[in-house]
Amino acid sequence: MLGTILLGLLTSSVTIPVPTLVHIIMEEAFNLGWMEDVPENEKMIIWNIRLPRVLLALCVGASLALAGAAFQGLLRNPLADPYTIGVSSGASLGAVFVLFFNVSIVGLGDFTLPVVAIISGMITLLIVFGLVHLSSRGLAIETIILAGIIVSAFIGSIISLIIALSDQDSMTQIIYWLYGSVGMRGWSYVQLMLPFMAVGVFLLLLHYRELNALALGEDAADHIGVHVKRGKISILAGASLLTGAAVAVSGSIGFVGLVIPHLVRLVTGPDHRHVLPLSLLTGGAFLVLADLVARNIIAPQELPIGVITALIGAPIFAFLLVRERLGRRNPA
Amino acid sequence: MIEVKGLVGGYAGNPVIQGLDFSIQRGEFFALIGPNGSGKTTLFQLLTGRLEPDSGTIYIDGKPVEKMSKIEKAQKVAVLSQEVQVSFDYTVEEIVRLGRYPHQKGLLKTLSKEDRRVIEHVLEVTDTKQFRNTRFRLISGGEKQRVLLAKALAQEPEILLLDEPTNHLDIKHSFELLDLLKTWQATRDVTVFAILHDLNIASLYADRVALLHQGTFADVGDVNTLRKEKQLQRVYEVDVRTQPHPVVARPQLLMTPKESRTTGKRDFQSLYTVQQRENHVHIAFDQPLRAVSNGVAGSGIDWLKHFCNFHVDKQYDSSDPLHDVRTWMEDLSIPSEQAAGMMTAVYIKDSAWVERHIHGVPLLVCITAGVGNAVDITAEKKTVESQEVGTINIMVFMDAHLTDGAFINGVMSVTEAKAKALQDLDICDEESGSLATGTSTDSVLLAATQTGTQTPYAGSGTRIGKAIGEGVYEAMVQALERTLARDDSF
Repeated sequence: MLGTILLGLLTSSVTIPVPTLVHIIMEEAFNLGWMEDVPENEKMIIWNIRLPRVLLALCVGASLALAGAAFQGLLRNPLADPYTIGVSSGASLGAVFVLFFNVSIVGLGDFTLPVVAIISGMITLLIVFGLVHLSSRGLAIETIILAGIIVSAFIGSIISLIIALSDQDSMTQIIYWLYGSVGMRGWSYVQLMLPFMAVGVFLLLLHYRELNALALGEDAADHIGVHVKRGKISILAGASLLTGAAVAVSGSIGFVGLVIPHLVRLVTGPDHRHVLPLSLLTGGAFLVLADLVARNIIAPQELPIGVITALIGAPIFAFLLVRERLGRRNPA
Repeated sequence: MIEVKGLVGGYAGNPVIQGLDFSIQRGEFFALIGPNGSGKTTLFQLLTGRLEPDSGTIYIDGKPVEKMSKIEKAQKVAVLSQEVQVSFDYTVEEIVRLGRYPHQKGLLKTLSKEDRRVIEHVLEVTDTKQFRNTRFRLISGGEKQRVLLAKALAQEPEILLLDEPTNHLDIKHSFELLDLLKTWQATRDVTVFAILHDLNIASLYADRVALLHQGTFADVGDVNTLRKEKQLQRVYEVDVRTQPHPVVARPQLLMTPKESRTTGKRDFQSLYTVQQRENHVHIAFDQPLRAVSNGVAGSGIDWLKHFCNFHVDKQYDSSDPLHDVRTWMEDLSIPSEQAAGMMTAVYIKDSAWVERHIHGVPLLVCITAGVGNAVDITAEKKTVESQEVGTINIMVFMDAHLTDGAFINGVMSVTEAKAKALQDLDICDEESGSLATGTSTDSVLLAATQTGTQTPYAGSGTRIGKAIGEGVYEAMVQALERTLARDDSF
């Protein structure tokens, strides 16, 4: 992961040598510089543009992958991903709303979009919970998935409606936002994301044993002493926080949350004690890498990062899947 | 250990369980039986906490369950339920590890040394160690059940709740699993509550049995509860009979299918063929007869189709007569598992036959009788043990329907008629000089078609008993006269 961060910082249109890079970071962060006459523009590029971009990619990738692993474990469904239960749609709707009406809440300024997005994501989670609560006792898994799909579909259609009503300019803006990107966000977005991420990661890592227990079903989990309902709410809340925050700062970047947990499982097995932290690390590294490819492959133009995640991720996943199946057939 | 008071519960406004009171002692194996829909699963789910009772309380160690925390309960109670779907490819060991959940302490909740020791132990006793690293989904149904049991045992519970633990298991795995439970119960003083579908298994393993019927206990008691045939017939609506287990002093149940009896009355004499050769006689029926016998082969009570009497030399070496009889049957292509076989030193051509209706009972009697070893069973004798070949072999076949008691009664009638014939022909015990009551190694076989009305008695006070007595007497006299007419009388 550290390698990909370094790579992400190094590679771009302006090449800056490693010592200079380390110097800049040390100086800016800890006032521990030792070099003189580092060009101001290099400092600018590294500290204000590349570092926050790489860190944001890291946070978003880590959050999405961890949330994906948690959703898959909780919903006992390998097809679940951070977008299954509709939180991301809610966050997207908030963002699209801000872009469409060009709203700017006083006192928030540039933060308006991510803040509104996170809030609308959380409201969506509450709506989904409400629906589930009204229609079934004890938060049945099937009902959670169904409610998520219903809410997602409904919100999706509203987003489509807004896009249809937009003029050319804001339509492009909205669509680009929906594709997802970690570029040109700056430190503020990283700062905004971190607290949500911290809480989400904490909640999820704390519940790895409950996620394992749920693999045998809720009754079986209950029989070994798991407080199933409490565990489910915590996990859902944690994963939703991560998803909402990630979508709010970067748009809906697909594939990471679905595939990274599977990738990790292929290597470590399904024990959430390993799956959760490794998904976090791998997801972060993967998105940094994807972002790297997105901004360099046809530089100076940038590709939407969501396109790259699938372009890189799908073949890797397919390869590992085939290798795994073959390996299982002939145990060496 | 477990105490249930006034338990009412079920699904949304439909109380399936209607007011149960019972208690289970520590270290007891308590089996819950009952037909489908009687509420077994509902009661089970009330006990596991899956369902909340509408009213009433369940106490564990004197403490109401609802006052216990989930962890506290899981430290005491483990559950083995049916059909578990596992998502993702967990290995067997990872599944078993889940059983340590309620015992894990500390912030990180990692496996302690003690956890690992327990896991090793339960993998050992459930014989699942060899596939500990195999994916749970890839092992067989029986193996899965053992793994899930290992997980439950890893909880080190004081109480085990089992929902049909032997479902989908073959007999080997069923008995292995239950034997293991029994051992665990005995060595750890674990209380077992199990829903068991198979009444015979319940009878073999349970200390107490509760019969659930329409949401209440029709009966609770030790395994002898299962001997109340009427009650089982009423609850299960199946013709259930109890039989003693041949080895264990516990009842086993036999169910009778509705259309088992052949209909349409046929002439008794058309049911069999008789083949008489120099060295054997073979009576073959076209349908099995219920037979009681002390013959060399086919002794006891059984359903048999073939009945043989073999002639052997006087100097026959009787070290393994059963093996010999079976070999001879095989030589004649007679299925020995469906056959009764006797042996005699009397010539087969001296067999006496009675074949007619007596007092309206269709009867076939075949007797070979020699009196060389005639004995008065009441006389004082020096030699007690004698294993020489049988000298009076009596086979009686009839078109009747007897209870097991009636069969024994019938054997008495045969014996009485035999003794009377010996008396009338003045056959004496050589050693004591008194009248003989039989010979030292007589055999008897009484077989019935089991059609028509069932009769509980076959003694001299009944039509069937009289028929047996008269038939046997007649054939006995005939057979004895033939044998006595020979110089080398046996």
